[in-house]
Amino acid sequence: MEINYLKLINFRNYTQFDINFSSEGALIYGKNGIGKTNLLEAIAYFAFGKSFQTSHDVDLINFSQKFFRISAKFNLFEKELYFECAVDKEQKKIKIDDIKIPRISELYKYIKVVYFSPDDLGFTAGAPVYRRFFFDQAISQYSFDYIELLRKYNRILKQRNALLKKKFGEKEKMVWDKQFVKYGVEIIKRRLNYLKEFIPVLSQHYFYISGEKENLQTKYIYSFPIDNNTNLENNFLTYLKKIEVQEIENQRSLAGPHLDDIKFDIETHPARRFASQGQKRSIAIAARLVQAGMISQKDKEAPILMFDDVLSELDKERTKKILKILKKNHQIFIVTPNHEIYKDLALPGINLEKIV
Amino acid sequence: MFQGILADLVHNLKKLPGIGNKSAQRLAMYIISIKKEKALQIADSIKTAVENYSNCSICNMLTENDPCDFCSDKSRSNKLLCIVENTQDIYLIEEIQEYKGKYYVLGNLLSPLDGIGPEQINFPRLINFIRSEDIEEIILALNPSAEGESTMNFLGSQLSKYVNKITRLSTGLPFGGDIEYTSSLTLRNAFKRRYSVKD
Repeated sequence: MEINYLKLINFRNYTQFDINFSSEGALIYGKNGIGKTNLLEAIAYFAFGKSFQTSHDVDLINFSQKFFRISAKFNLFEKELYFECAVDKEQKKIKIDDIKIPRISELYKYIKVVYFSPDDLGFTAGAPVYRRFFFDQAISQYSFDYIELLRKYNRILKQRNALLKKKFGEKEKMVWDKQFVKYGVEIIKRRLNYLKEFIPVLSQHYFYISGEKENLQTKYIYSFPIDNNTNLENNFLTYLKKIEVQEIENQRSLAGPHLDDIKFDIETHPARRFASQGQKRSIAIAARLVQAGMISQKDKEAPILMFDDVLSELDKERTKKILKILKKNHQIFIVTPNHEIYKDLALPGINLEKIV
Repeated sequence: MFQGILADLVHNLKKLPGIGNKSAQRLAMYIISIKKEKALQIADSIKTAVENYSNCSICNMLTENDPCDFCSDKSRSNKLLCIVENTQDIYLIEEIQEYKGKYYVLGNLLSPLDGIGPEQINFPRLINFIRSEDIEEIILALNPSAEGESTMNFLGSQLSKYVNKITRLSTGLPFGGDIEYTSSLTLRNAFKRRYSVKD
């Protein structure tokens, strides 16, 4: 899949701007603050229906304006599709070939972008929420109905938390617990299924990037204890009964996939605590590469890859290896103030200082 | 720009479902701009409907006559009871001309977020209804949402004392649907509840 054309009106620092892209992608450079990341942000907006930097759409509107409109032509499913997003203070409209989509999340069916973000460091070193977000988004791209499942689970979680804040009868709690466990376990199973494919490739990539020196172990961490003699549902439900008093005290659900985590060890040392900056970055980049690879394999369409200046803190050897793993069939966008390190990729260069 | 009487009107119209600020302003402007008789006709029919409709003392549905036409219809089977969320659902089910039993309108679904627990659902009345009739099957025709599912689970466990057969509407492939575009949740349900081609 690739983007051929992008037009921005009142988006961030761009009041009126349009640009054509080649199928290989582009190496976008220029001084700080010129709007390099904003270009990636606009392209990725068509994949996620929102910004990867902020959850407030109004922040994306150019300071002096009341709305923004971005449009783009993408090649996918062997044809050209026209996408348009228009946002003002009151509403947001997204159209594909002039037809308004009923739900923003529909975009996940069409445009797949894998964004290598500077914030990905949080993937290895940050709070568990980063990792849950990473995997929930990756699995949503991989199989669309995971979004529906998450939506259902979150709704039940919200209801259950509201229940824990008030007086309730045992039977009333039971009906909410039952659903909470049913959808919670469904989510965990979907994550485990995804990880079954994800983990071996991640280890392989990481081993290669580290110069065949370091083994990476990845493990799913449950928020409730697992007794292998019984199934997940029973484990989860038994634990919920055990922590009922605490849950009432805290007035919220204290176990479930919304609190699970994924743990990385380099050899036997937890990466979160012991890995160097470069190692943490390498794990995050390797994870993004696996995410991209899994989409390509399933969709038979290679997702668009975006690198937001993430390679600059790595040593030359690691950088070289990562660029080698990059499959040639992706459209690749790289933004950097320093384009020298990417010259082997032979991407068409765009100097924003000359055109903005 | 909207002040005094007109602002009041806009404010009140906004209380209607699906009406936001802009629609309310548009409706208000429309109402005061059309012929007086026409506008008052609208007001009158709202007033008449509100004054004449109340909940049926047996099944809880909104009705002009108490007991409602369904409860007093002797030709309807009193062996079947269909529980719905609101009166509107009854009309939808009636349209399919398939069901000839009794109805009961729940009014609410369990939703702790909205402060709705079992106490807010009128249970004594429902149980009275079930006991006074010769009900053999209860059909739970509620939405398969988080709130609907919980309510069905709850009703199922509470009512099994009185009635042996409690069913819910099937969930699965929509008619004229396409397997390719069906979510795996729906597809799984459809698989679980598949039926013989002879049916």
